[in-house]
Amino acid sequence: MIELTHASFQYENSDRGVRDISLSVKSGECVVLTGLSGCGKTTVTRLVNGLAPSYYPGAFSGSVRIDGKDISRLSTWEIGRLVGSVFQDPKSQFFSSELAGEVAFPCENYGLSTQEIRERTDAAIEALKLSHLKDRAVDILSSGEKQRAAIASVYAMKPKVFVCDEPTSNLDTAGTRQLAQTLRQLKEQGFTLLLAEHRIDWLMGIADRFLYLRDGRIAAEYAPEDLLLLPEADILGMGLRSPHEGKSLPAPSVSDESPAVLRTAGLSKRIRREVIFDDIFLSFPKGKVTAITGQNGAGKTTLAQILCGLARQTRGHILIDGKKARAAVRRREIYYCGNDTSTQFFTASVAEELLLNTELTEESKDRARHLLKEFGLYEYRDTHPSTLSGGQKQRLAIACAIFSGRGILILDEPTSGLDGQNMRLVAERLRSEARNGRTILVITHDRELIKSCCDNVVEVGTKPSEVQ
Amino acid sequence: MRADASFAVPVKLWALLCVFAGVTIGGNVLLTCILTGGALLYLVLQRNFRLAASYGCFYLLLALLLYGIRFHGLHMPVFSEFYVLMFWNLSPIFLVSWDLITTPPGMLSAFLSRLRMPTPFILGLLVVFRFFPTMRTELKGIGRSMKNRGLTAAGQLLAHPVQSMEYVLVPFLLRVLQLADQLSVSAVARGAERPGVRGSYYEKRAGARDHIAAAACAIVTASYLVLERSMA
Repeated sequence: MIELTHASFQYENSDRGVRDISLSVKSGECVVLTGLSGCGKTTVTRLVNGLAPSYYPGAFSGSVRIDGKDISRLSTWEIGRLVGSVFQDPKSQFFSSELAGEVAFPCENYGLSTQEIRERTDAAIEALKLSHLKDRAVDILSSGEKQRAAIASVYAMKPKVFVCDEPTSNLDTAGTRQLAQTLRQLKEQGFTLLLAEHRIDWLMGIADRFLYLRDGRIAAEYAPEDLLLLPEADILGMGLRSPHEGKSLPAPSVSDESPAVLRTAGLSKRIRREVIFDDIFLSFPKGKVTAITGQNGAGKTTLAQILCGLARQTRGHILIDGKKARAAVRRREIYYCGNDTSTQFFTASVAEELLLNTELTEESKDRARHLLKEFGLYEYRDTHPSTLSGGQKQRLAIACAIFSGRGILILDEPTSGLDGQNMRLVAERLRSEARNGRTILVITHDRELIKSCCDNVVEVGTKPSEVQ
Repeated sequence: MRADASFAVPVKLWALLCVFAGVTIGGNVLLTCILTGGALLYLVLQRNFRLAASYGCFYLLLALLLYGIRFHGLHMPVFSEFYVLMFWNLSPIFLVSWDLITTPPGMLSAFLSRLRMPTPFILGLLVVFRFFPTMRTELKGIGRSMKNRGLTAAGQLLAHPVQSMEYVLVPFLLRVLQLADQLSVSAVARGAERPGVRGSYYEKRAGARDHIAAAACAIVTASYLVLERSMA
């Protein structure tokens, strides 16, 4: 179904790309591309869906054939009928405000009759179990629902191949499980699947093969059972996430001897009539890393923003070192590192970003240099933050949090787009900050991160129902 | 508002034309309450109860203010008599145009497809509808990040106003570019470049209910014009 022969591609004005990729994917097969950030996974998916070189300009050689057709002879809309693409962040790619309109979008573009568009759209919505959300606005769907809506939109066109680029980067455990079920269903229906993904444990049982890419080339190929048998040292050496599904999390500590530096007392939040969370009492010990988990939409990010003084609670108090702390005080004491890095950077270079609002001394410059080196960003110190890759931006945001000097750090999904190597780097640094007396709260769905560095786990409950 | 209770787009355009003609041709400002009443009924028929109720309350407040101004010499320094009268007079246009611009974008694009408008124009319209809510979220995010990093302190804003403005504008503009890029990729990958006429999920031909609504719009406007002429 997918046939890449000695395919090479180098982006215009860049040294990034892939070299000499030869790959054959049979009809109904599921193949996963994995490897370190920047290894070329996304570029391979772009070669298959034709976006490289038609949308992303660059030098291309070799050939890509889908269902026997050389796609260099096809226009992008013709390729779109053969290959459906699901991107990393669906929310910024929606054209319609309503779910049904969004799912119907490609069918409308291909000029199908109204009757056929409705039939295909309704069938796709039903197949992806979104019928109860049909009249909802896409903006209020959870991340998992948005991802399923994006897949439904592709499904409605009935392409032969599905290409997904890091589809779980914004999903919680339940959302990932749902996605796994959806992909299994697609595979059973005979669709060919090609995925680029860091997190590979959830794909065991779905994927037929894993291709490990390094420096733009396919370095190794593994059957799922072979990947599971690889020694841990090899997995670490390759910078991969663990292929073993996280079965157990560390038990929440019931009585921690460390004093609680941050506490909530009867904290509640409502937005209009909707209860986000109600009457919660939490305690975060000093010098520890605490994971805050919970389903998508449970209010974890809202809780974090309230703790940091960036949003207001409806009721209740927040105490720092036993004293009630107003929002302004909390903003001085607590640093919030959000998951969405797109609105977090304000300066023209990576180095300036780290040093923003800091007194410039030899000591601070030295610390900044050291931190950039540790996070693999030193060579980008003069680069504009907006030009960094997703993983690099995430590392810079974490570095800014660490550099802030505040005693309490709250990091929201800090490792969602990081490969195994960088995830472990961040985990190690968080541990060392905690050892030095900082209190760290990590909102995360990443079981590997929790296992690597968290002392406690706090679960924020499922969303309460609407107030009557 | 439910899409299936919504009138067809041509009816909405016709309704706007009617109230616009009524307000501009008619000279009796007070009697525009007939048009406003018609516009509120028009919203109720489309099950847009929330807007009808909230604007109805606001309109009653305007009526009280007008009464106070006319018979008790009420004078307000902030929201002056001019604004009260302007809101009173333009209320039917506000209501009907708000109903038009909050029509599900899918219905609007279906209407434009039927008119054989070029696909880039239709996609542009869809993007405009998505742009404002998305950008509002982005601006909120930037404001929150600035607060988090201590860039919104009064001292900072007063001492470095240009720099503070830059802190808002630069990430905002970069985000606009990034979103534009992501939307383009999404459109290209989903066949937006295909030549020819687009189809539509929301294709809705005007039915008997729509024809009755269009006729009612014309009758209410004509009645208002006849009445105000007879009172002139």
